[in-house]
Amino acid sequence: MIPTFRILASGLAAVCLCASAAGEATPLTPEEIAGAARTDELSIPMPGEFMATLNKLGKIDWTKMFRAPIATNYTSRPQMALNLGGLIADGYVAIEAEDSPQIKNIGKDILALAKTLGVSKDVIERGASIANFASQSQWDQLREEMEATQNEVKAGMAERKDSDLVTLVTVGGWLRATEVMSGYLTKNYTEPGAKLLRQPGIVAFLNKRLDKLSEKAQADPSVVVVRKKMGEIEKFIAFPPDKAPSAGDVKQLNTLAIEVVKEIIKKQTK
Amino acid sequence: MKRLLCTLALAALASAPLRAASDDEVNARKLALEIAGAFSNDGFKLRDGNWCGKLEAGKPALIQVNLYAGNQYWFTLGATEAAKKVAVTVFDENGKPMSTDPYADTSVAAAGFAPTSSGPYYIKIEVTEGAPAAFCLIYSYR
Repeated sequence: MIPTFRILASGLAAVCLCASAAGEATPLTPEEIAGAARTDELSIPMPGEFMATLNKLGKIDWTKMFRAPIATNYTSRPQMALNLGGLIADGYVAIEAEDSPQIKNIGKDILALAKTLGVSKDVIERGASIANFASQSQWDQLREEMEATQNEVKAGMAERKDSDLVTLVTVGGWLRATEVMSGYLTKNYTEPGAKLLRQPGIVAFLNKRLDKLSEKAQADPSVVVVRKKMGEIEKFIAFPPDKAPSAGDVKQLNTLAIEVVKEIIKKQTK
Repeated sequence: MKRLLCTLALAALASAPLRAASDDEVNARKLALEIAGAFSNDGFKLRDGNWCGKLEAGKPALIQVNLYAGNQYWFTLGATEAAKKVAVTVFDENGKPMSTDPYADTSVAAAGFAPTSSGPYYIKIEVTEGAPAAFCLIYSYR
């Protein structure tokens, strides 16, 4: 399946390469599945993973997925967190496009929002690294740096007991990535491509997290919209594994994602 | 290679998971990164996130991940030396064991997997021989 591994593994000392594990393992029980851990750090794929698989479908002009710069001076902290997640997803798009100036601009915006949220000291060095890697066209390092930046922002929020914001950064990033991917697939529909949108586990996980937000965060207008739209979005990405969504379904998903991201970036009026 | 491993080890120390990792967990992650570093040489991109904790023989742990068809993945488990043998197994969303490329060397193990369907999968990690140990699971993709 991954032939290069055998070559690679042969170079490692004292290796035990056994037969495939599939035949030996006992299937999981429904109770075991229900009790499985689900974490922000491993259970939610980074946008780069989706982009990696999308890149295998053909050559993609990622610059077409750029959006106009968004505001970085929101007054609502939940809205800031949602947009911070969205900017990180934008960072991945810029990395795929290999566009250094765009990456640097997004890095600056990430720092600006992180500063307003009180977590900038955790990511200032990351911001400098992003700029350096972008200048040197070190794209793989940039992908790791982008994820590390997100993790450090979340760790800073967790230290400040701000778990609501951690959730919203994750949700904001996932929604923006969904907007980008479904937008591409709407314009370039193929059944194998559309099947990649299947992510029932993620929506269920994120919805549970959104349900646990504090009352104050849940009352934020941007969060109200997100919770409503997530329910609708779930219908379009929880399809059976052997069935591709139609071109119409992909378009509807994209419309929902566009609407919710538009609400997230819109400045709230008091 | 040495430089890469050094960089990865430093990254392990500098990384900031959502909760503070114990020294044992950091050591377990370093072990996992040494193996994952070899996959990186083969074009696999390492995720910064990880899942760390404690494992006892006979008490496996399970985590849900969400994978994309078309990508290839390596799930790499590192454990502290009290664990003499560890294992990583991949299951689909219905709990069916998946065919993987396994790698095992005392307290580290890895499973290479290429899903044919996008969606949720479960990664089971276990100490099959030895005393309770700190563990760290990481993954790479390409």
